[in-house]
Amino acid sequence: MTRTIASLLCALLLIGQAACLRGPIGWQRVSLNQRIAAEDVRFIIDGQTSLAEVTARLGSPDEMVAVGDHVLARYHFTDGKYFRANFGWGLRFLIPYYSPDLVLGGGGIGTDIFQVACDAQWIVRDHAFATHANSSEFRLLPFGD
Amino acid sequence: MNRVPPDHTPSGRARLIRPALVLGLLWALFSTPGCAFVRGSYGEDVNQGDLSSIKKGVSTRGDVASVLGAPDRIVEANGHEIFHYYHFDVKSGFILIFSRTNIKSDDIFVIFNQAGIVEDLVSGKKKPPLEFQFWPFDWPFGP
Repeated sequence: MTRTIASLLCALLLIGQAACLRGPIGWQRVSLNQRIAAEDVRFIIDGQTSLAEVTARLGSPDEMVAVGDHVLARYHFTDGKYFRANFGWGLRFLIPYYSPDLVLGGGGIGTDIFQVACDAQWIVRDHAFATHANSSEFRLLPFGD
Repeated sequence: MNRVPPDHTPSGRARLIRPALVLGLLWALFSTPGCAFVRGSYGEDVNQGDLSSIKKGVSTRGDVASVLGAPDRIVEANGHEIFHYYHFDVKSGFILIFSRTNIKSDDIFVIFNQAGIVEDLVSGKKKPPLEFQFWPFDWPFGP
């Protein structure tokens, strides 16, 4: 749900920008929240630290999910990168009435998640990172595997 | 009639080509898009004053709803009911061929016990304000 709303907001903004993005080349980047580093969560001691202490340092989580007798508080960091090059853009100077687009481009979206599992007393039982944000990159060629 | 013949010498052609190139470059520059700065948000930004009126062990679901409104989502966990309030802030900058969009979420979770009384309020530290940025790369300024 969180990602759906963030995606909708992004889509609205990018549609607004789409009219501007008609140049020969363009780099776009979209980020959701700031990355949480391993050093930022060193203070968390499983079995001792409470969820209130975690949120006081890291801010409120993006999602709370019930799994069995635990509650997972999840922090998201998403990074998306996109590059496009329109090789037909220069033709408008030679053929003013019809300038076909020849667009190559590509990108990706990656999400880092920091997850804290709490028990019924809201004490952290374990915490873990899932790091995929580095999977996003600017790409020129969409071909290949 | 003394008509001046067109100058077809290499230096004469260069004199014509250079201004044409400069004009062409200027046209290309001005025909590419300019810049845009856009801002959007989802949900109300709740201030600490509103949150301080919610008392742990005292406030009920109705009290919370009267301060924060109906929740965007309700989660059931461990026999607890959790009200989830969304707040998103988006800032987007676009200059010539570079574009960057930053989104920040500052959600609020209110946890109720089985009697429907507030057990905990998860709002935490406010995240720092978003910046308008247009540079999409990590270098040379960092992410």
